[in-house]
Amino acid sequence: MIDKVKKELEIRFPLLKLVREQHNYLHIKVDKAAAADAVLTAKTSLGFTTLQLISAVDRIENGAFQLTWILENYDEQEILLISAYFPRKNCVVPSLSQIWPAASAFERELFEMFGISFPGNPREGEDFLLEGWKDMPPMRRDFETEEYARRTFGERQPREHTDPRQYIGDVVGEWNTPMGRNREEEK
Amino acid sequence: MYCNQPPKKPGDKKEVLQKITNMARANSLWVTAYGTGCGSIELRPLGTSRFDMERFGIAMRPTPRQADVLIISGYLATKTLKRVIRVYEQIQDPKYIMALGSCTINGGMYFDSYNTLNVLDKYLPVDVYVMGCMPRPEAIIDGFSLLMKKIKEGRAVGWKHYRENLDYYRENQKQIIKNWDLPDYNW
Ligand code: SF4
Repeated sequence: MIDKVKKELEIRFPLLKLVREQHNYLHIKVDKAAAADAVLTAKTSLGFTTLQLISAVDRIENGAFQLTWILENYDEQEILLISAYFPRKNCVVPSLSQIWPAASAFERELFEMFGISFPGNPREGEDFLLEGWKDMPPMRRDFETEEYARRTFGERQPREHTDPRQYIGDVVGEWNTPMGRNREEEK
Repeated sequence: MYCNQPPKKPGDKKEVLQKITNMARANSLWVTAYGTGCGSIELRPLGTSRFDMERFGIAMRPTPRQADVLIISGYLATKTLKRVIRVYEQIQDPKYIMALGSCTINGGMYFDSYNTLNVLDKYLPVDVYVMGCMPRPEAIIDGFSLLMKKIKEGRAVGWKHYRENLDYYRENQKQIIKNWDLPDYNW
């Protein structure tokens, strides 16, 4: 049960902070040096063998990326989230792709979207979603998305009116509905 | 009532032949089964028994080589655009593009996204736009009937336009596809 997991983790990592706890859900925060260790412990001795996701949140006001490994114990139907803060500048996080092959894809995505580097991932730096992207990683919060979209995809023309008939007429060049005709007949 | 007009003389042979060809083309639209955005969800009910597009002679084909309509069903990421260009150029002439949803018209609700293009017409020649977010199957059928009308009148010439203005389209495409490595179009 989740209490046992919590106790076990507290013994091994005395510095951990509890974020949230429910009957089959536990979210803890550990120091960044202990993060990989905690994830490995959860896998090898606590039965959390499935890696569901590695997520990152840009905590720009703390100057850090919050990395969260979401693990699942399928037999007990339990979920464990292990978070850690890593400094934002030249962010380096230990890779888990040797342990879970699936982690490789998540790590490549985070590398592209946030610029977080995972040394040890054999496929790091390969194109994943943004092929040939040269700008700042787009999920960082200091990336100006709207400005970038305007620069790359062109200005968007503001709408001058909101009447769909007129709009369709502008685009298609022809628009007459039976409804319109009926209305005229009614008059 | 009877018709007192003198019988119309048939036009010259080529014209008549062209008209017959156009009619045949309009009544056997084969669509590449390729969906890019949320709008492709609406193509499933269109293909199955409730809306049944095969009564109009519209069928789904598994490969672009057998098709003549490409439906861009919603927002288009730049990564997908590269594949779409490839699919489009593999379709045999004559070919038509139908674009669904406000995303393809002016960006829709993804207008400020870092990775989806705003105006599809800059990159591929669109013959018919169908409005809506997302368009219902009825609207798509309406779009198809507009496309048929255009083909019968010989006005659906996007593919000719693409061929003649290839430089313009290529320039726009290369502007947003950063790692351009498609082969040159040869007919
Ligand atoms: S127009 Fe609406 S439904 Fe269609 S792709 Fe855009 S957001 Fe999705």
